[in-house]
Amino acid sequence: MEDRVNKRSGSSPGRYMIETDQLTKWYGDIVAVDHLDLRVRQGEVYGFLGANGAGKTTTLRMLLGLIQPTSGRASVLGAKPGTEESLMGVGSMIETPAFYPHLSGRHNLMMLAKYTSTPLKRIDQVLAQVDLSKRADDAFQTYSLGMKQRLGVAAALLKDPVLLVLDEPTNGLDPAGMADMRVLIRKLGSGDRTVLISSHLMTEIEQICDRVCVIAGGSLVAEGTVDELRRKDRLLIRVDQIEDARRIVAGLVGEQSVAVSSGVLQVTASNQGEIEPAWLNARLVAQGISVQELRWDRASLESVFLDLTSGQLRQGKRGQSVIYANGQHQESREVAHV
Amino acid sequence: MFRRGFDRVSVELFLLRRRMATWVLLTVWTLLGLMFGYIVPYVTYRGDDGRPNMLEAMLPEQITQTLLDGFPFFGGAIALILGVLAVGSELGWDTLKTLFTQRPGRGVVFTAKMAALAIMLVPFVVSLFAFGAIAGVVIARLEGVDIIWPDTTTVIQGMLAGWLVLAVWALVGVLLAVATRGTSLAIGFGILYTLVIEGLISALAGSVNQLEPIVDPFLRANTYSLVRPLGGAGSGTGDSAATDGPGAFSGPYVDELQALVVLMVYMVMFIGVSAWLLRKRDVA
Repeated sequence: MEDRVNKRSGSSPGRYMIETDQLTKWYGDIVAVDHLDLRVRQGEVYGFLGANGAGKTTTLRMLLGLIQPTSGRASVLGAKPGTEESLMGVGSMIETPAFYPHLSGRHNLMMLAKYTSTPLKRIDQVLAQVDLSKRADDAFQTYSLGMKQRLGVAAALLKDPVLLVLDEPTNGLDPAGMADMRVLIRKLGSGDRTVLISSHLMTEIEQICDRVCVIAGGSLVAEGTVDELRRKDRLLIRVDQIEDARRIVAGLVGEQSVAVSSGVLQVTASNQGEIEPAWLNARLVAQGISVQELRWDRASLESVFLDLTSGQLRQGKRGQSVIYANGQHQESREVAHV
Repeated sequence: MFRRGFDRVSVELFLLRRRMATWVLLTVWTLLGLMFGYIVPYVTYRGDDGRPNMLEAMLPEQITQTLLDGFPFFGGAIALILGVLAVGSELGWDTLKTLFTQRPGRGVVFTAKMAALAIMLVPFVVSLFAFGAIAGVVIARLEGVDIIWPDTTTVIQGMLAGWLVLAVWALVGVLLAVATRGTSLAIGFGILYTLVIEGLISALAGSVNQLEPIVDPFLRANTYSLVRPLGGAGSGTGDSAATDGPGAFSGPYVDELQALVVLMVYMVMFIGVSAWLLRKRDVA
């Protein structure tokens, strides 16, 4: 793989496939991407998570040289975005796949293959890879949205790139299509190929990605593996004397880790090994508290994402597994890469 | 290197060939050329208003003179639309985004598109001359006149001049498409410019001498001046669209060499500005 990367892209081993440094894009007085620092390592499937309008597509467009950053710097495969050195190893699909409507899927790929001096035999291979061989000779304008998405992925794969950049690849797909696409992307990223995938769908990112970054308002708010992002586990304790129980538990684990919500005591831990439920249960019972239910509740990526992007957890304490920035760009630079 | 360039131009040509709009424009262009060069004049000639010298312009010997009249007139509008569609549609379909994220840079893509557009204009010229020749032969046969062909040099010069006129207007279309990032506004503004702005001011210049310096650099003045020495622009013996038709142009003319230089400068300028815009602008 290193040979492949070096030969085809000029990047050297140990370097990031994508690296941005304070990347910023302003549209008039609106900041779309705000001092973004990204590092995508070789061979990983990297998720780029953010709400609509968070700046995901703008970032990807800058990484492909389609738009110029207002300030900051980006490097893709060791080269400036949009240059031949950078693009030669990158396959991409940005937003909706764009092809000539009157040409067939095969002819559209033929055009791209000839532009990139790719052997024409690759066309059949990638069409088969995305399961589009049967409709390859039909005009693009007759394709369903799912088929268009698959042709977009086929086009991205045409050059056998070392880096795949996919922007919302499951957009418009039905559940079966989404599942197929997830399997395909996971497969594509299973070897040495690096995949950068943007999405606002948590399950998609959760199931596909090795590492994830979350952006909001154009700024990076968190980065880490899915497990690391979800690490804030909660021990839920249902008791009959909730105020007494809260006081006892707070005395044991610290006031800041205990909360009451919907009549249930919630004890937050960085990981499940931090708190021993049986020990807590014994202490409560010893104090005459009747414990009706006690179970772990792992935070879903969705709840973590909502917390991050709504700012609720952005004041979270530093030193936790994931350190959250408060969205201001001065502090967003302090985002921990866990 | 050459092979890559050839491949890229060939796919752009393939793209133009596979577009219905290209063939519709070619058909409309050919029909208009035949209509103004042969059908309307012949009907007039056969009617009560016919004059004996009208027949001469419709015979094969006068093919260059007769057909060249149409190039600066409706040929310009047709070529402008073709130029707009060749680049503007890509912006509308967002396919430039797809092309620009492939290996070659923006300059390479634009060069391939311009080369393909230049080649695609050749069938436009050849088609009109071919159908014009057929029409001339048919009219000669109907009138029982001997068929005399013009010398090859005149025909080739006429075809080259015609191609140049179409190329300049096509590049106007390309520039407008790039500037407006689409097709509708580009075509609308292009037609408005050629017919209303250049047309009206040129017409007024005939009676208001002070307007002549404004008209001299116009595409209309230079393209008509380029074809005039070859027999176009109403210099022939018969009536023509250039003098009598809706695109009538009666001067002021400029020297043909000056016209050639001005048109070449325009071509370089239009290509340069379009390429610069395409290179510098964000593809949003």
